[in-house]
Amino acid sequence: MSVDQAIFKPQRYRSIWVTLRAFSGFFLLWWLLHLWNGNPLQLPSPLKVLEALWLLMCEGEIQEHAYVSTLRMLTSLLLAVLVAVPLGFCMGLSRQAEQYIGPLVEMLRPISGIAWLPLGLFIFGVGDSLPIFIMFYVGFFPILLNTLAGVRQTDARLLAASRTMGIRPLPLLLHVLIPSALPTIMVGIRLAFAASWAAIVAAELIGAPSGLGFAIEWYRQLLMTPKVFAFILAIGIVGYLCDLGLRFLQNKLTPWTEGRGISS
Amino acid sequence: MKHSAFEQHARVVLRNLTLPVLLLVIWQLWASTLPVGSPAPSPVKVLETFFELISKGSLVSATVQSLGRVLMGFSVASAIGIALGLMMGTSPSVRENLDPIIESFRPIAPMAILPIAILWLGTGTPTALAIVAYASFFPVVVNTVHGVSHVDNKLISAAKTMGVSRLSILMRVVLPGALPSILLGTRLAMGVAWTAIIAAELAVGAKSGGGGSGGIGQMMFVFYAYNIDLNAIVVCMTVVGLVALTIDQIFKMLEKRLIPWRHEI
Repeated sequence: MSVDQAIFKPQRYRSIWVTLRAFSGFFLLWWLLHLWNGNPLQLPSPLKVLEALWLLMCEGEIQEHAYVSTLRMLTSLLLAVLVAVPLGFCMGLSRQAEQYIGPLVEMLRPISGIAWLPLGLFIFGVGDSLPIFIMFYVGFFPILLNTLAGVRQTDARLLAASRTMGIRPLPLLLHVLIPSALPTIMVGIRLAFAASWAAIVAAELIGAPSGLGFAIEWYRQLLMTPKVFAFILAIGIVGYLCDLGLRFLQNKLTPWTEGRGISS
Repeated sequence: MKHSAFEQHARVVLRNLTLPVLLLVIWQLWASTLPVGSPAPSPVKVLETFFELISKGSLVSATVQSLGRVLMGFSVASAIGIALGLMMGTSPSVRENLDPIIESFRPIAPMAILPIAILWLGTGTPTALAIVAYASFFPVVVNTVHGVSHVDNKLISAAKTMGVSRLSILMRVVLPGALPSILLGTRLAMGVAWTAIIAAELAVGAKSGGGGSGGIGQMMFVFYAYNIDLNAIVVCMTVVGLVALTIDQIFKMLEKRLIPWRHEI
């Protein structure tokens, strides 16, 4: 869709209408399936789920678990950024550093974060540190690879021009390299977020006594299916909101470009 | 000249090997300071366990079982995903109606629907299949839509001018045009699917008390919870990584084979 179409107002109302229509179709289908299935333990009616969601929100239970999960996610994402971005710059700027570190990264990357769960349970035990470790691991690689790609993509003419003008290393980093790599890094962070938000459920399902993933499993064991669905919805909503926040940050930090990164 | 090129190459290989070898040596040294009965893994013991598990055949059969599940779930998901993606890419009305729903399911991780899958399908293979299919559906459909909607419009118009039938346009123009994107989607999907199967098998193992549904994820869980053997867990992790690497390489080779006109992806 082109830009002037999006600004054209009736078009915008139309897109809201289309979304509403799509969702009502979806809910209708769900409701019919629920009638056909007839077992509220397997498939509760959408109304029951919304009611459960509302009640859980009123009691503050969803906020509590969502807060714990989001805090873990932010901690691990921050750690991953702090480690991966400098490392990515090192590897991008020095062939030697890349030759040393690259193979190790390529060896570890195929091992999915979730495969670390059993070993992680031994090392960290059940608690906060296991989900944080898993999410850090999962988020580390997209950020590293995108930082590396971002640094590499820096326009050689810009580098040459700044060198001709006798720039020092620090201003070169601050004014040339970082602004040019930032869009790709932001894409990496968004990918890292998506990956670690997907991993948090697994990590909390198995290895944490709190959080959204834990709550889902808890209510499944109690056979309170509407609450299970409500928490799944909550995971989707929180994930969506976080992505919205990151996209906002992306627009704020790198307004000059729509960065496209590599997906690992 | 030749000599120096060789030297250069040797230096790169040496640098590549430094860190992994160093870490392995440190790990082995650290493990040898521990008391004899310690369960902590060490590279030598991991290697021993690896050969032991291979000779028993359990490692291979578990891996094959997981791979079979992945392939099945993946094929179902890519069949549906590509068909749906083609429809969404070619018809705007289908696209605008399905897009909101797909986009709102996308942030829901496959592991999040695992509890529901267990409720519906029990703790056996069907659950694992459902999780894999769910996980790999999204990359396929999103990339197919992207590929189809980026097919050169001039080509389609040209084909229409020449009176080519709609089906032929779809098969001869749209599909080849979208193929690079579709292949990228399936490669990503396969990676996600392999991650998802490990997660599903682990969690199913964790929640059903190690039932007999097998797979390498379950094997890991058994080594974690019943016969505690960290060396075997590390072996399983390595195998998981190797399989992921192999899958990725196979798909990259396929990409080169199927779309020789575009090597840069």
